[in-house]
Amino acid sequence: MKDLKHLIYFENLLLEANNKLVQKAQKDGKVCVAYTCENTPEPLLNLPGCFSARLRAPRTGSMEVATYYLTSFLCEYSRALLERAIEGGYNFADCIITPDGCSMMNRCVENMELLKTMGKEKPKFFYEYMEIPMKGDDNGLNLYVLQCKNHILKPLAEHYGIDTSESAIRKAVEEHNRVCELIRAIGEFRKGPRPAITGYEFHVLTLATYVCPKYLLVDKLAETLEELKKREPLEENAFRARVMVVGSEVDDLDFIKLVEDSGAYVCADRFCYGSLPGRDPIVLTDGEDVVTQICRQYMNRGMCPRYMDMPKMNGRREYVAKIAKEYGADGIIYEQMKFCDPWAYEKMLGSHILREEFGYPVLAVDRPYAIATSGQMRTRVQAFVESMEIKKIQKEDAANG
Amino acid sequence: MAKEIGKDRLGDFYIDGGKVRKRREWRGISDTLYDYSRWLVIMATLGKFVMKPRNVKAMFRYRWMANYLAVPMMVDRHTQGLRGEYLRICHTEQDLVIDDVAKLLDSLFRGDRRIGNDTEFSKKVVLVDENEMTAVMMGFPTLKVLSRETPSTYVSVLLNQHAAEHYIDVAQEHGLAGDVCPMPEAEAGVSIDDDAPVLGACAIQCNTTCDGSLLGNGVISRRLELEDGIPVFQLAAPLRHREDDVQEYAAQEIRNAIAFVEKHTGVKWDWGAYFECAKRVNYATRCRQEWLEMNRTPYPQVFGSNLALYTETNYMAICGRVAAFEKADRKISKLAQQAYAKKKRAAKEYRHRAIVWGVQSHYYMDFLVWLLNCWGIVPLTDMLSMVSTRELVEEDTPENRETAIYDMAWLTENMIMRNRTHGGYRVLLDELWEFTQQFKADMVILWEHMSCKALTGMHGMFEDRARELGINLVWVGHDLFDPRIISRQGVRDQINNYMRTVMREEPIDPSLEVLHDEESW
Amino acid sequence: MNKLGKVLLKLLGKLLLIALGFFVVTFTVYFFNLDMKLTAAIEPFLLKHYDKIERNTHL
Repeated sequence: MKDLKHLIYFENLLLEANNKLVQKAQKDGKVCVAYTCENTPEPLLNLPGCFSARLRAPRTGSMEVATYYLTSFLCEYSRALLERAIEGGYNFADCIITPDGCSMMNRCVENMELLKTMGKEKPKFFYEYMEIPMKGDDNGLNLYVLQCKNHILKPLAEHYGIDTSESAIRKAVEEHNRVCELIRAIGEFRKGPRPAITGYEFHVLTLATYVCPKYLLVDKLAETLEELKKREPLEENAFRARVMVVGSEVDDLDFIKLVEDSGAYVCADRFCYGSLPGRDPIVLTDGEDVVTQICRQYMNRGMCPRYMDMPKMNGRREYVAKIAKEYGADGIIYEQMKFCDPWAYEKMLGSHILREEFGYPVLAVDRPYAIATSGQMRTRVQAFVESMEIKKIQKEDAANG
Repeated sequence: MAKEIGKDRLGDFYIDGGKVRKRREWRGISDTLYDYSRWLVIMATLGKFVMKPRNVKAMFRYRWMANYLAVPMMVDRHTQGLRGEYLRICHTEQDLVIDDVAKLLDSLFRGDRRIGNDTEFSKKVVLVDENEMTAVMMGFPTLKVLSRETPSTYVSVLLNQHAAEHYIDVAQEHGLAGDVCPMPEAEAGVSIDDDAPVLGACAIQCNTTCDGSLLGNGVISRRLELEDGIPVFQLAAPLRHREDDVQEYAAQEIRNAIAFVEKHTGVKWDWGAYFECAKRVNYATRCRQEWLEMNRTPYPQVFGSNLALYTETNYMAICGRVAAFEKADRKISKLAQQAYAKKKRAAKEYRHRAIVWGVQSHYYMDFLVWLLNCWGIVPLTDMLSMVSTRELVEEDTPENRETAIYDMAWLTENMIMRNRTHGGYRVLLDELWEFTQQFKADMVILWEHMSCKALTGMHGMFEDRARELGINLVWVGHDLFDPRIISRQGVRDQINNYMRTVMREEPIDPSLEVLHDEESW
Repeated sequence: MNKLGKVLLKLLGKLLLIALGFFVVTFTVYFFNLDMKLTAAIEPFLLKHYDKIERNTHL
């Protein structure tokens, strides 16, 4: 299969948090809104005059200083972000908005604030912390809306004069949806026995949409979509099995690469920074407050394990089963970042339920923030692929009598 | 055999590698007879409990019930070295908690489908979490509010340091990562191991205290609702509890929870009962404040692990619903005033005034007694005791009924521990230093519960601030429910090392410095 | 002292003796921690028993 024309371009964008497009947007006079959690409604951070950049710490090395502040018991994502902030790696940000999605992320950003890591020469810089719902109900929605107004729209308007009117938000949703539609259309090429894009390539494109100003990505994404339409797909047996990756935050390209190098094609991505459901377009209707509509869709589709009510808990596992079926996954890899409490529990329950109740082979693993070339992980994935192959053969033998 | 405080070498009571101690203390005639009489009362409570065949049946059904063999020893651990009013205060607190837990167990087994199977009784039972304010049940006086996790894990670990290990292992055998908080992990383990009583018309779970607790509830509710058919309401208390813009959400959660209980039990909310409870909560708050006020002087009276344990029970689990606690509050206040007037002290020597912060080691709850007896460090107050002091409305008026909803929401948000570990760094970090000033403390003992992410996430900032302010900050790492990670001696050694190397001090009671109590209950 | 007085005195004596006996026995148990020593000896048997109980262990 021929390399995608813009793959290197997208890969390069992921080498730095302060990437070329972030710099360009800021040069264009736009305000950079940094955020850390998928529960922050992105369109509200991408109003005319501002753009969002979800923080990540590519090429993380030592986390010694962050480990001193957060200890080694907090997940490496939070530590990597704090370390990068202390190093000055997020000085480009004009503000940071974070929900109390999990304790670790909250403490990470609080430490950034207490250590005055950002905003040194930016008098308008602000930190905002949001409360977000833990249940998918009307009360949760009311809270979500109020919090978005108080902790996103209000400070953006007050500090940077951002237009937070209904029409401005609708425009931001339109732009957001354009990117979502492109990503979802590209993602469709993962279906079927001969996919036209690898899981790794798709992850690169998706990840870029979280960390770059969206309006600067649209052209290249559209071009890539057209390219895929004509691209010669993979051979039918290019990979030994198809897997869906489910779990906590993955912004590490090497992880998906490692899974695919081990023989498992990543056909679906149900993780933070993934496209399912992160790149579902937001459908707006007339006659209802637009923030309410956005929040409702974020709340209803939210797959974060912090949602604690029964319908949401059951819904998470049903969603995985539905996507696995839709994308033709042979098996599921449940991953969690080490020390992540929410995903530790969800991984245990999800892997059990998907295996016992939905009949999928499941591999449950925990991993560091940056996996690099972990032999241990490779061995586990390879063994999982082999077990799926054996099951397939046994199934075929049984069918042939 | 000594009568005077500090004359005994308390370490000599331990048997190396033993489960129990050699003998009880001789505290002089009057105090020994008092302690003996309280022991008799505890034995009578336990005797009454085992008189019922269903309780004996439960003893042979539930693994965690074996821990209740150690009840008298738990009291002994907390009364080490105490005399006079201190001994009486401790017994007033501990004995009432024991009585309350005995009643809780009795009720659980009465309704339990496997044991008593009293279905009519079970219909009046609402299950709650162990770590949950029961404020939302203050207006349901005819319903039984029972927590299964309190006796199976929480109290069990207080009784026997090894109590949770089996359940932690069960949870991990089923795929749970080993780095989560062992408390919800053990609670999930009880559920997985089919070792929880099954009863109740419905259940209310709460997102207190942390991510682990919230997710652990998901394991429990799955079995409870999908298998046992007991509907579960998840009460979501906002994390940023100091913010005005979360209070309406919190209040609505309370309204929804009340409606849920009414629907599943057929019992209507009783405002009269609520306001009665509110008065008791206010009384308990005033008493607590009075005790804390005394602790700011050179003559603290109600302090240490008893204060933490009692506050935890009275403030959170009882929440004004049991009149006996008001009586106990009164008695404790009287004893404290008496001792304060006489300028009494609980130990031979007070060397350091300390604020104890963070989440305490549950398997070593009597550590604060050790701190006092071994090194003369007075634990003036602790994080668990620094809870809400807001007065609730007491008079039944239409306006007050609306305010009362917000009061209940406030209490729920400000559950013990989570009122500090959540809600932003101000409540955990900044207020600690305010308390050190108010209490004239020269030392902070900082429990570092290693799998409590909200707490360890402030580690470096605690260090930095302590250095800036010139406060002696002593870290005491532990794993809450699991002494296999850091043993009791491991906990003590962290203090011993600091006191010897940094403070250059010798222990007041050297016999306590190293104890071989790893096998002990 | 009449007959009733004698009976009462005897009864009182017996009661005192029983009370004293009760005190001596229970105080000995209390002081030498015999209650805890006994329950500590029982615990291993109980734990063995729990291991044998069939349970519906699952998530």
